[in-house]
This record gives sequence, structure tokens and C-alpha cells, in this order.
Amino acid sequence: MMAGSGITRREVLAGIAAGTAAGMFGSLSSARAAISEMVWATWDSNGHPEYIAAFEARTGVKVKLSYLSSEDAQFAALKTGTASDWDMINPSLNGSWRYIKAGLLEEIDMGKIPNAAKMYDVFKTTPKVLDASGKHFAVPYLWGLNPIVYRKDRFESEPDYTTLFNEKYKGQLAMRDYALESIGIAGLVAGIPRDKVFLMETKELAEAKKLLIAQKPLLRTYWQTIGDLTNLFATGEVSCAFSWRVPYDALKDKLSMGMAKPKAGIMGWCDCFAMPATLSPEKTEIGYKFIDYLLGADFATQIAKIGNYATTSSIIRDSLSKEQQEAIFVDDMDVMKSFMWPVAPANYSEWLKVWNEVKAS
Amino acid sequence: MALAFHRAHFAVPVACLLLVGCVLPLALLLVFSFFEVDLDAFTMVPAFSGQSWSQIFTNPVFVFLIGKAVVSGAGTAVLATFVGYPIAISMTRLPALWKGIASIVLLTPLYTGEIVRIYAWRVVLGSEGLINAVLQWFGLVDEPLKFLLFSPFTTHLVLLYNNLPFMVLAIWISAELIDKRLIEAARDLGARPLDAFLKVILPLTTPGLAVGAFTVFALAAGDMMTPSLLGGTSGATPMAMIDNLFGTAFDWPLASALALSLLVVLFAFAIGFATVLLRLNGARAVFRRGLK
Repeated sequence: MMAGSGITRREVLAGIAAGTAAGMFGSLSSARAAISEMVWATWDSNGHPEYIAAFEARTGVKVKLSYLSSEDAQFAALKTGTASDWDMINPSLNGSWRYIKAGLLEEIDMGKIPNAAKMYDVFKTTPKVLDASGKHFAVPYLWGLNPIVYRKDRFESEPDYTTLFNEKYKGQLAMRDYALESIGIAGLVAGIPRDKVFLMETKELAEAKKLLIAQKPLLRTYWQTIGDLTNLFATGEVSCAFSWRVPYDALKDKLSMGMAKPKAGIMGWCDCFAMPATLSPEKTEIGYKFIDYLLGADFATQIAKIGNYATTSSIIRDSLSKEQQEAIFVDDMDVMKSFMWPVAPANYSEWLKVWNEVKAS
Repeated sequence: MALAFHRAHFAVPVACLLLVGCVLPLALLLVFSFFEVDLDAFTMVPAFSGQSWSQIFTNPVFVFLIGKAVVSGAGTAVLATFVGYPIAISMTRLPALWKGIASIVLLTPLYTGEIVRIYAWRVVLGSEGLINAVLQWFGLVDEPLKFLLFSPFTTHLVLLYNNLPFMVLAIWISAELIDKRLIEAARDLGARPLDAFLKVILPLTTPGLAVGAFTVFALAAGDMMTPSLLGGTSGATPMAMIDNLFGTAFDWPLASALALSLLVVLFAFAIGFATVLLRLNGARAVFRRGLK
């Protein structure tokens, strides 16, 4: 018995044990109850609140959006552990291998994603989201093309990549300030086959460098952001550029804009979803529901309607009008035969060196 | 003794702040610069390798980019001196109210973001911009002047615009501290206005000039945005390269070595520049007296 209290030592110990147990179960049950929200790290263009409203209504899980500033920042945040609140992330198809090699991703069980069956083959079978043993770590969900955008009133015919190196258009051209795509385009112009372009070694890189140095005086500038390039088109500084589709969409009602898809190889972009390796089992369950939603009809409809983007699933394709299909590049599926996916190669430092030599020349 | 102890006591948090905020990150960069990257696991390996440093010294691109940053920063500082000095001296002669208004006018552009200023300059200098429109309207040119935008000229014009307030403020404060009786005495002793300026005003404002030059040099040499968005194809900077190396290339050792090289070179030039200015006409002695 404890002095002055009338409570035995045994009763106190039992009370402590009961309290601890209650606390543990309490925290477990509150952890389960707390999973009423998840955080999705993505681009602002992929994560408008209206795109995910149907998922939230259906599951009662609130999706908090954390917008990315760059893929490098996303990789660095995961690598340094400063993104512990992210439940779903958005690596690119080009860059997924980095996350996989660095062991940052949770393995994905494709059997738990029914809508994956509707994915286009080119995305369903891509090896870029697998590790060396063939396990899945990311799934492509959104894609588009990076075309040549141009002013139709200033070009007699549809431009291709050689147009960007043509003296005739000096002062009207722009390239992106990005080693991978710009050197890749020079490689295509130099005659490197599209399946070898992102594997260029020293000798081929030297050829590309020569072309890029010769191209430099023809360019008005290297564009930095897509807003920057849209502004350049709008103010008449640039008439033709390797681009994203944004300037075309933004200006087509005001200027005579065109969008060319070069036959030599169309640079595609593709975003994947993936779950961080540190995700708890409870969060993983919700993650799978969300993944299936991103490949489903509701998300595809919203993002096609508002963002002019296609998902990697054919789930709504046939219900779209010809015009809507054309807007998101799914009217002619042959386009997929000329896709090329820019992938940062293992010798990317060498590419970067070439790019900086071009810019410093 | 007790006072000295008290002073030392106050210095401890400041020293800690400097250590954590300045010395530690730089020390980390130095350590990283001797690492190597394992691209299979995307990690840095402590290899104690001099590979990154040897690249810095042997690759002409790095030398070129660092040299370009120094020349660009120094050029902007010199331009800012010539433009800012007369403005600062004129401001000392204004009545108090107008001094206040002038300082607000001077600082107002700094309240807008750098991007806003850059896009505003594009509107002014572009092919369809204000200046080209005026020149064409008066029939002075047939075609828009293309060099007004996306050229080294544009870069330095905007670097000057962005950084001029720092130069003017530094010189202005320095000039305001001059005892006006010194100038009157010089005039009474028969000095012409130019002599009074060269022998009294200029030496006494040299500390402000040094501070302004140091600031403008550092800001202009380290600016990445202005050259990138307004320099056209000539807009390469070492900062952009460092950004690329830290980012997609994941070459942190090389990026660290480049960042440190740039820092050392910029500091050496900035301190050399300021030292030369402070030695002009014994200004250092005047400055020291002023501090006592």
C-alpha cells in the first residue's frame, strides 16, 4: 500500500499498464482515423482542385496539393528526406530511373490498379518505370507532345527541325535553354537515329555541338520558361521555336499560330505517379485508390476539358469529339510510332559540358 | 574588464550565427568538392578526389564563365559609379523634403520584383516596344533595332538600372557626412570648383564609393536572371551552370568546386577594387579618423 493513499502498488502498476495500453490503441486508432487526407506532390497544371473533386467526394479523402517547382527539387527533397509529408509524387518518365536507382520509391502492385488495363500499349510496356529485375515502381498517367510552335503567317510550309537551323529565318527562332532537348534536336538534324539520340557519346556530341554553335547567331534567344516563350511569341520577337504547346493554346485566337509535329521524332513528355518508399501501409491503400482514379474516366475527362492533356488510358477516347481528340493528340494514334522520350543519359555531365561550351562560344 | 567581458558576451550569438549561416555551408561545399558521385545509387562518395578541382582549372568554359562574371560585374560597377555619383552629389544639395522624395523615387523600383522589372524592360526595348515604335514613328529607323533587346547591351543596361540605387545611396550617405565647412575653406583658399571636388569631396566620399562599388559588383556578377532573360544567346552565367550541375546532372562535387571558385575570385576582385579606391588621396586615413 502506498503511504497515505489507500491504493496498493499493484493497483498503481495495473493502472499504468492499462493507461499505456489505452494510449497505444488510442494512437493506433487515431492514426487510422487521421488518414482522411493525403498529399499529392505534382505540377500545378496537373493538380487543379476540380480534377480531384470526384475522388474526394467518392472516398472522403481530402487530397492536399503540393506544387512542384522542378523535378530536380522533387528528387532532392525525397533524397534529403525533407518531403516526409508527400504520399504521392510525380516523377517524369524520363527521370524515373533516378528515383528507382536511388531506392526512393515503393514497389507498385499493378494488380491493384484495375484501370491500368485501359492504358495505351506504349505506356503499359515501357521499361523506363521498372527496375533491373522488372518490378514496377512508377506508372505513366499523363502525356503530351513538345512540338514546334510557329507563326503560320510567316512560314510557307510546316517547319521541321532543320528549320531551326536555317539561315533564312535568322532572328526569328528560339530554342529551349535545356541541354537534353536542344542537343537531342541537333543530333536528329545531324542524322542520328531517334532511338540513339539520347545515347550519344563524345563523337556524336561533337557533331551536335558544331551544329548548335552554327545555330547560335540565328537564334533570337534561348527561352527559359514556357511563360517566357509565350511572351516572346506574343510580342513578335520569335516566330518559330521548339516549344511546349502552351504558346499555341494561349495565342491561337489572337495570332495565326501553328503546331508542327516533326517526322524525325516527336519529343514526348510523360508524367508518372509513384509512392515514396517510406509510405505507411494505410497510406499505400489510399494511394492505390488514388492511382486508379488518375487512370480513370473522371480525371481524364476533367484534364482533357480544362488542361488539354491526355491521360495514358484510352478510357474516354472514343467518347470525345474529333476536335477534342485532335486537341490532346489522340485523334491519330500513329503519332505514337514517332515518339521519343528524352532521357537524361548516364554521361549527362558531358552533355552539360557541351551545352555550356555552346552557350559560352 | 567587465565591459570587455560584456561585449564579448554579446558577440557570442553573432559569432554563432556567422558560423552556422556562413562558415558551415562554405565548409560543407569545400568538403563536397572533394567527393565523387556514385550514379548507380545517386549518392556522394567521400573519395578525397581532386577531380572536380582539376576540371575547374583545365576546362576553358569554367574559366570563361567566371571571367565573364567578373568583367560584367566590374563593368556594371564602373557604369554605376559614373551615373550614380552626380545623382548622389546632387541629392545632397536638395532641401530636406525633396531629399525624402528623391530617396523614395530612387528606391521605388526595388519594391517591384526582378521579373516584373525584366518584363517591363522587354516592353520598352522589344522589336515592337516603346523605343523602337518612337524611332520608327519619327522615321529615324526603317527596321526595329534588334540589339536593343537580347544583347550584352540590354543585360548591362538592366543590371545598371537594378543596382544603381545601391551605388547612389552609398555615395549619398558618405557625401552627407562631409563637413560643409571643409568645402567652404577650400573655396576661401582659392580652390576652383573642380579642385574642391577633386581634393575635398571625392576623397571624402571614397568610402561610400567603395561600399557602392563592392555592392554593385557583387550583385551584378552574381545575377543569373537578368542575363538569362535579357541577354539572348549571350546570357550564359556561371550561376546557371552551377544550378544545372546541382540539379539534373547531380554533379554536386563539381558544382561545389565551381561555386567556391567563383566566390573566391569575386571576393578577390571586390576587395582589390575597394582597396584601390580607399587608398585614393589618403581617403583611408580620413575614413579611419571619421570612425574614431
